[in-house]
Amino acid sequence: MTRTESAAADTASARTATRPAGYAVARIGGASFLVHRRAVAVAGLLTVLLAAAVVLYLCVGDSFVSPVQVIDVLLGRPSPDELVVGTLRLPRLVVGLLAGAAFGVAGALVQTVARNPLASPDVIGVTHGAGAATVAAMSFGLVGHTTLPYVSVAGGLGAGLLVYAFAWRRGLHASRFVLVGIGVSIALGSLTQLFLTKGDYLVAQQAKVWLTGSLNSRGYDQAAPLALVLLVAVPAVLWAAWAQRGASFDDDTAVALGIRLDRMRLGLTLIGVVLASVATGATGPVDFVALLAPQIARRLTRTAQIPLLSSALTGALVVVVADLLARRLFSPVELPVGVLTAAVGAPYLMWLIARTRSRSGGSTS
Amino acid sequence: MSPTSRLTAQALTLAYEDRVVVDGLDLEIPDGRVTVIVGPNACGKSTLLRALGRLLKPRSGTVLLDGAELARLPGRDIARTIGVLPQSPTPPDGITVADLVARGRQPHQKWWQQWSEADERAVAAALEHTGTADLADRPVDELSGGQRQRVWIAMALAQDTELLLLDEPTTYLDIAHQVEVLDLVRRLNHDRRRTVVAVLHDLNQAARYADHLIAMKAGRVVAQGRPADVVTADLVREVFGLTSVVVSDPVTGSPLVVPGIPWQPAAAD
Repeated sequence: MTRTESAAADTASARTATRPAGYAVARIGGASFLVHRRAVAVAGLLTVLLAAAVVLYLCVGDSFVSPVQVIDVLLGRPSPDELVVGTLRLPRLVVGLLAGAAFGVAGALVQTVARNPLASPDVIGVTHGAGAATVAAMSFGLVGHTTLPYVSVAGGLGAGLLVYAFAWRRGLHASRFVLVGIGVSIALGSLTQLFLTKGDYLVAQQAKVWLTGSLNSRGYDQAAPLALVLLVAVPAVLWAAWAQRGASFDDDTAVALGIRLDRMRLGLTLIGVVLASVATGATGPVDFVALLAPQIARRLTRTAQIPLLSSALTGALVVVVADLLARRLFSPVELPVGVLTAAVGAPYLMWLIARTRSRSGGSTS
Repeated sequence: MSPTSRLTAQALTLAYEDRVVVDGLDLEIPDGRVTVIVGPNACGKSTLLRALGRLLKPRSGTVLLDGAELARLPGRDIARTIGVLPQSPTPPDGITVADLVARGRQPHQKWWQQWSEADERAVAAALEHTGTADLADRPVDELSGGQRQRVWIAMALAQDTELLLLDEPTTYLDIAHQVEVLDLVRRLNHDRRRTVVAVLHDLNQAARYADHLIAMKAGRVVAQGRPADVVTADLVREVFGLTSVVVSDPVTGSPLVVPGIPWQPAAAD
């Protein structure tokens, strides 16, 4: 065998002994990350779509602004459309992007823990907790307008963790988690209705708008805390993406692999509940994004677990497109974005339920 | 010279809710051997294996690994020493063989160190050893029962543990695949000096493949030792309540249990 032949043979044997098919290994210094190739391609595609949606969102409105002008504004070049694009449309868009991403990741994490594609922060009490707290604070005039998002965050966090604690009995059982969540959500939903009927008519009207989830008159005041939380969550989400690999097995196999199930589930739930609560604080409950985004993303990447980055991108995309429609569909009336995500979400939910049942109850998480 | 034992149980009591399954059991798993646990349905053999692999917390008593209490050791440390293949493991949806086997490396990895050369070598060796390298790119859902079981064993192998616990690894397999899996287990023990503990349903297979046989009944160890010493007609009657004749297996010479009294229609009195 010549030298080149043996070198070729060496590379060939190195290739057969390589990382799992479909993955690449990214090395940064001493760190190494397994990267699913198709997931990267999907994330790239979603980013392109999202960029297109962003430009379109900024172009369309009461007055049309050309894409060239929009890109000028985005790049910080002087432009006559600075006011319309940069001051009126952009802040609202940023809130939508961030909230959509947060809802997407939150949904992915909750669905992983619950092992249920129908689970989401809406189901485990976060949304209704935030709703009940906010409406209560509004009706009783407890706090000012600026503190309201914090009340909502506290309500969401409180309800989410309450559900987790109630569902705990010598470990967390996935179906108990979902059932307790539904129970607590219904209770909190009734409480919200009570506040709405007991409270002042005008306040109730305001509360109802908030409860639909809206980007109307949202801006950097709401975006800033959300961006901060998302930034802090980045390492946590990297950890979560790794922990998910073990979470997609049955309990026995996961324990055999040395995974501390309780700690891992609590960690994933905590990150999900915080993200969903903070996003709800910014926009109100935007229905179905947390449910839809992870399921769409997973069908695209075909990964064995729900892809977090693609879930975030899908969530952002759904909210931006829905809000674009919400702004323009019945112009000059601007609908709350939550109305449209729900309109897209409900048929999808029904399709998903029908599909799950036809699979003889097999779990598709 | 009696063999050493890294994995032992002392006064082990195991229970599900209020039902005690194993009561005050002492046990030593001989190193470097294939130990097979047999017994009738619901005798506690799988429960015992789950406790040895820390999938089940003892009600009282302890499982010791190198003299340290299993319940107090970090899960990752245990997972680098003891591999467990549960009775019916569930794969993540749509996962490929290579991806599944690679996840056996989890206890050796950290979230910021997800892949090393050692991981690569262990996975390649596990695929090769189990004859599953050709299946690497196939989805696990599409495999036959025998292939799937070999893939799960490959995952446990990639974990690279000195002890390997297998809970009924031949259930649901046809006889050719059963033999295939058991031969693989023997080969692992021989080539890589792995200590293996397996729960098996079939007494004859147990007698054929075990170095050390443990017979259980109602949560207690009735007999243990070399199959040739342990498997007798008396033991079969005591443990399974079955009348039988024990002959020598014409292929391996190990004891072979043949049920003794054929069924006959009741005599008309």
